[in-house]
Amino acid sequence: MNNQVRSLREQRGWSQGELAERLDVSRQTVNAIETNKYDPSLPLAFRIARLFRLSIESIFEPGKD
Amino acid sequence: MARISPRSYDVRMMFAMGVYVAVFLAVWPQVRGTADPFVKTVCALVPVLPLLYVIWCIAQRVLHSDELEQRTHLIGIGVAAAAVALVSIVAGFLAAAGLLSLDTTSVVLVWIFPLLLLVYGAARSYAARRYGSLGCEDERLPLHQRLLYSAAMTAFMALIVFLRSGAPDVVAVVLAICAAQLLCAAWFGFKRRRERVTPP
Repeated sequence: MNNQVRSLREQRGWSQGELAERLDVSRQTVNAIETNKYDPSLPLAFRIARLFRLSIESIFEPGKD
Repeated sequence: MARISPRSYDVRMMFAMGVYVAVFLAVWPQVRGTADPFVKTVCALVPVLPLLYVIWCIAQRVLHSDELEQRTHLIGIGVAAAAVALVSIVAGFLAAAGLLSLDTTSVVLVWIFPLLLLVYGAARSYAARRYGSLGCEDERLPLHQRLLYSAAMTAFMALIVFLRSGAPDVVAVVLAICAAQLLCAAWFGFKRRRERVTPP
């Protein structure tokens, strides 16, 4: 799965640590999501979408497989 | 409840392990030196108290971890459980066959918990690295500092063993462990310094 989390975060001028704090997750988790090493659960994906005031599908899109 | 930061967790664990070593070294000689069963029982079980704090710290960390951390904890605990099960079944069979004395078996049992923690930590760290934790290591105490602390505890143990029993073979083994920890600390310290000078 690909996502726009890094660019959305950078647009707002937040560090990974700040985003992690807002989502109540570790910075490692934010880093893993941004580098597509980890796909978040549906509840966390909803939290991310709510934080950026966007829909889930505009942030996350399925990968090639 | 607030999440426990990795640095705070490292400090708590190192403190607890330091207390454990100190209590163990202070109390253990009394176990064999007393005939009173009550004093013997208390002295034998006092070192368990700092370990209870270690278990509490681990439980707090797991309870307040996020979904990715829970996944890496599960991998760590799974691998550690398999390793400990293997060691205990091997030790059990050897003891049942009469190849291990009761004294050796008790030593094996004492090392089960440290083995569990060691394998759990290594497996969890490996799993976390696969999810890209390398860029987040500044959240923890540097590895070379943790190894230096561990080497200091081991050196202290060697000194106490030397002063109490003077057993040269035991002192040599403990000092060899200390030297290995110092070498690893030097290597990781050097690596960290090089990475800071030339970021990857």
